[in-house]
Amino acid sequence: MGPGYAMNNLTIQNLSKTYFDPYAGSNVTAVHDISLKVAQGEFISIVGPSGCGKTTLLNMIAGFLPISGGSITIDDKPIKGPGPDRGVVFQTFALFPWKTVIDNVGFGPRMRGLPKKECDQIALEFLSLVGLEHVAEKYPNELSGGMQQRVGVVRALANNPDVLLMDEPFASVDAQTRMTLQEELTKIWQERRPTILFITHDVAESVFLADRVVVLSKGRVLEDMPVHLQRPRIWENLMEDGTFKALSSQVLSKVRSA
Amino acid sequence: MMILLKVWSFYLRIAVKFPVLKTIVPFIPLIIAWSLVTELQVFPRAFLPGPMDVISAFGTLTYKGVLTQYLEDSVVRLAVGAAVGVALGIPLGILVGLSDRVRQWVWPILLFFQAIGDIAWLPILLVWFGFSLTTITLVIVYTVLFPIVLNTSLGVRSVSVDLHRAALSLGASKLRVVWEVVLPGALPNIMTGLRNGLGYGWRALIATEIIVGTSGIGFMMFDARRAGSVVEILLGMVVLGTLWYVVDSWVLAPIERATGKRWGLVTQ
Repeated sequence: MGPGYAMNNLTIQNLSKTYFDPYAGSNVTAVHDISLKVAQGEFISIVGPSGCGKTTLLNMIAGFLPISGGSITIDDKPIKGPGPDRGVVFQTFALFPWKTVIDNVGFGPRMRGLPKKECDQIALEFLSLVGLEHVAEKYPNELSGGMQQRVGVVRALANNPDVLLMDEPFASVDAQTRMTLQEELTKIWQERRPTILFITHDVAESVFLADRVVVLSKGRVLEDMPVHLQRPRIWENLMEDGTFKALSSQVLSKVRSA
Repeated sequence: MMILLKVWSFYLRIAVKFPVLKTIVPFIPLIIAWSLVTELQVFPRAFLPGPMDVISAFGTLTYKGVLTQYLEDSVVRLAVGAAVGVALGIPLGILVGLSDRVRQWVWPILLFFQAIGDIAWLPILLVWFGFSLTTITLVIVYTVLFPIVLNTSLGVRSVSVDLHRAALSLGASKLRVVWEVVLPGALPNIMTGLRNGLGYGWRALIATEIIVGTSGIGFMMFDARRAGSVVEILLGMVVLGTLWYVVDSWVLAPIERATGKRWGLVTQ
């Protein structure tokens, strides 16, 4: 077990977020009261309709937004602003357009102060996870959307974060590519077992990927259900699987009632 | 008609091999028209010399070393002024772009001083520094500074918040984010600022040389007017246009091709 695999938990307790809406002229509560424990190596999906507070939740865990109440701790240490212990994968990919693929993936290690040669080595190793060593010297705008997001995922992983936060990462690629990316993600997770918190509004995606699906509604946890499905997960097998279908419709009815 | 098409396709093929043709050929009809007007003596020769007169004046003045010396003076002044303007403008632009507090304080002042055009500073600069290089340099710096500050701050603010967040969550310090994210992200706008700044600076330089005038292309043109040598005035104008084209295609455009365009930040 490497240094990134020490026992640690992401613990969220009575978290709330209120902000002032200058247009409405009043306070808006995006997150009311969320408590959640994420175990080391767990893959958890957070699903809910738009406006349910799921992105706000992720932004607070990432340290992008200050919290209004409650606490977020990793290993019992409260988080303080953004940091390399929490890797983020963005819906917009957020690759640096002026850096080649290899420099994007090696960015985290370089910020840790590792020499360039070592960063390149780490980057290539992680690019090989998604079969992209051959585009290492290209710029992001020369890649397809699916390839860009593969780079986005391994860039976050290359830093060995305690938690990987993913904010609707596959929402902007086409349906076929999305299925491939989802299968690849579960494969990577099985190999390396990072803790993943995956935000989505896609019910099938949330069930397909995770061990546990949390349904959010109006800034509260509506449902927290385990997913007992075989791995590796492959769409061809699961699409007709009874358990998968039952779970999906169960989650869907919760999301729609939300 | 067929012949015209053939000539055109021949030109297109040869222009691919020798890109310099794409620069020269568009000027040919212009120069022919100019020659015709002068050959037909529409205006007296002393008021409007022809292209050949300008070329021979170019030869004589280059031979005497006057033109090269003046050209060097002007270009060095612009380069020094631009360098100082860039060195001050980019950091200031980044500060204004990043910090709301700085912007609140600096913005009204920037707009106020931007309105006082470069030449409007000349009277007081002449009182303070006389007909000196300092005066010329200050005018250039002043002219170059504003487009760079305004465009840099615009570029800084156009960098997506997700890129800031990505860098921070990968462990970059705030200072590192400026270097790794803000600066390259603002580069296309900085280039626009530089392009405008140099363009305005070049014009301000000529105007300043006419007034402060001891040497330089602007001085040459104004001096030629006193001597009644229209051909040298025209030569000065041709030099100005050519020089700008050279700066654009040899300095600015290659930087833009290697950065913003390569990264997909700006489309053709």
